[in-house]
Amino acid sequence: MTDAVMTEGGRNAAGRLRLSPAEHRRLARKARLRRELTGWMFLGPMFLCFVLFLVVPVCGTVWWSLRTGNIASGTSFVGLQNFYDLPGVVGAGSAIANTLIFAAISVPLILVGALGVALILAKIRHGGSIYRFLVYFPVLVPGVVAALIWLFLTNVDFGLFNNVMKAFGAYPVTWLGADSALGVLAVLDVWRNIGYWAMFFVAAIIGLPTELYQAAELDGASTWARFRYLTLPLLRRIIFFAVIVSTIWGLQVFDTALVLTNGGPGTATTTVIYRVWLYVFASNNKVGFASAISLVLILVILALTLVQMRLLRDRRGID
Amino acid sequence: MAVEAGTGRVAPAELRRSAVDHARARRASRRRNELLRHLALAVITFILVAPFYYVFLASLKNATEIFSYPPKLLPFPPFFGNYKKLLFDTGFLRWMFNTLFVAGSVTTLKIFLDSMAGYALAKIDMTGKKVVFLAMLILLMVPIGALVVPLWALMSSFGLIDTYAALILPPLANPLGAILMRQFILGLPKDLENAARLDGLSEFGIYWRIVLPLIKPGLVVLAVIIFTDQFMSFIWPLIATTSDELQVLTVGVAALRAHGGANYGLWSASAVMSLIPVGVFFFVLQRQFLARSLAGALKQ
Repeated sequence: MTDAVMTEGGRNAAGRLRLSPAEHRRLARKARLRRELTGWMFLGPMFLCFVLFLVVPVCGTVWWSLRTGNIASGTSFVGLQNFYDLPGVVGAGSAIANTLIFAAISVPLILVGALGVALILAKIRHGGSIYRFLVYFPVLVPGVVAALIWLFLTNVDFGLFNNVMKAFGAYPVTWLGADSALGVLAVLDVWRNIGYWAMFFVAAIIGLPTELYQAAELDGASTWARFRYLTLPLLRRIIFFAVIVSTIWGLQVFDTALVLTNGGPGTATTTVIYRVWLYVFASNNKVGFASAISLVLILVILALTLVQMRLLRDRRGID
Repeated sequence: MAVEAGTGRVAPAELRRSAVDHARARRASRRRNELLRHLALAVITFILVAPFYYVFLASLKNATEIFSYPPKLLPFPPFFGNYKKLLFDTGFLRWMFNTLFVAGSVTTLKIFLDSMAGYALAKIDMTGKKVVFLAMLILLMVPIGALVVPLWALMSSFGLIDTYAALILPPLANPLGAILMRQFILGLPKDLENAARLDGLSEFGIYWRIVLPLIKPGLVVLAVIIFTDQFMSFIWPLIATTSDELQVLTVGVAALRAHGGANYGLWSASAVMSLIPVGVFFFVLQRQFLARSLAGALKQ
């Protein structure tokens, strides 16, 4: 490129390069093309995967939600019929209700618990790392394995919960009965996720400005007042982020429900993704309904994502 | 404060004594609070960890011992029949290999794809960059579980159902890594890269020799995130494979639960064995694992 400039351009008296406007445009265009090409060579491979296995499937979900039939042998177009029928389809309503109830129980418990643990962990002076290790360990347990472990906690005859109850002289409880199974599933999720958000909050709390706390202490603010009027407001955005993300995760519950309760008793713990799986892969081929209910989930998650992005943009505006 | 609160005059000695008292009281209360914190954390971690120990105990009991009350709280004498059965009569070792192979492949591929994409998004002035980045942010949270129908159709039209490729390819789409790497690379000082450019290093040379070494800590965190996510993934492997030889750990363990009746001994042994690789990795890479939680915050 430098050579081209030397020969085609030429120099004026001051020793500066001088190009005719056409030449200048041509070179600029060439450089730009090179830059574009290099850029896409870097971005291309990842972008291809992103489009092929994420953008295309999202569009595919929309397409299939407008069709009916069997995924392997063929489908036909039915318009929005699937969405009109969805409330009446076996299991669709209960799946959505179960998923919402699950998130409504687990998310507040996870976040309140995690914030509590984080407030203690952030202040501890010695031996914090061993607690962090232990609190975080359940986070790394795959859902399937976590559910297996909970089979041993909730078993009526020899489960840990009932053994503890027996030790205190109480009657054994059927933990995975129709009324309580969804709650147990939510508490399992609390056990698995509390460490993740606790570490998240610890990092946020450690990053808070200490001068404010010293000032508050000098003014005689109680521990509660410092939490209520300093920590909570300062962490507001962090907490909001955690609420959105943990809700999105909660809406995806599937593997623990499959292994711990088999979606039962009845349909008591059959969640949305569980239902998708049943519609397509486990029983009859209701690919249209499966896609329609998937699309509902995707739209809810996209809406939550947009709220989150909006919030972040607002913050950037203020900074 | 003592001066203000009193009549206005306080004897110096008295003031000094009260300060000493005050300091001593403060130190005592600080020590008491620290002790209370340890106590609270001990109780919390005990509750969180007790289930692991209970399952570990069960895995070392035979079928009658598991059901006996009161339960033995120490695994003596240990019974190894469950582990023997798991290792020799089920495909457990194969499942473990499949999981490690698939998770390792996805992690390796993704480290390169994501760091290259992150480099382009952060450093190269190109058209369409903003749109691509926005699309990645918007679709970041869409779970693979909601996409199983089109993904299955796509992979089966490629003829890839029930192959390793079916397990490895779809997870590559997750944009989290590219977004994180963009953030990391944006944080690097510009001077190094400009100096290299003046010295005639190609764009790829800058990425390979300058940027990659500088973001190594970020790459390790990313690798940990991807590997653990893959290790835990369930619904896609469940759908993408049909043969026993291709089952990953989570799918195999779920199959143990679903078929062949209630075998608590085998289940507990499989739970314990499944946790060994994660436990080892976590112990070695503790700091990076804990940074996993911060990946979310980093995005901000």
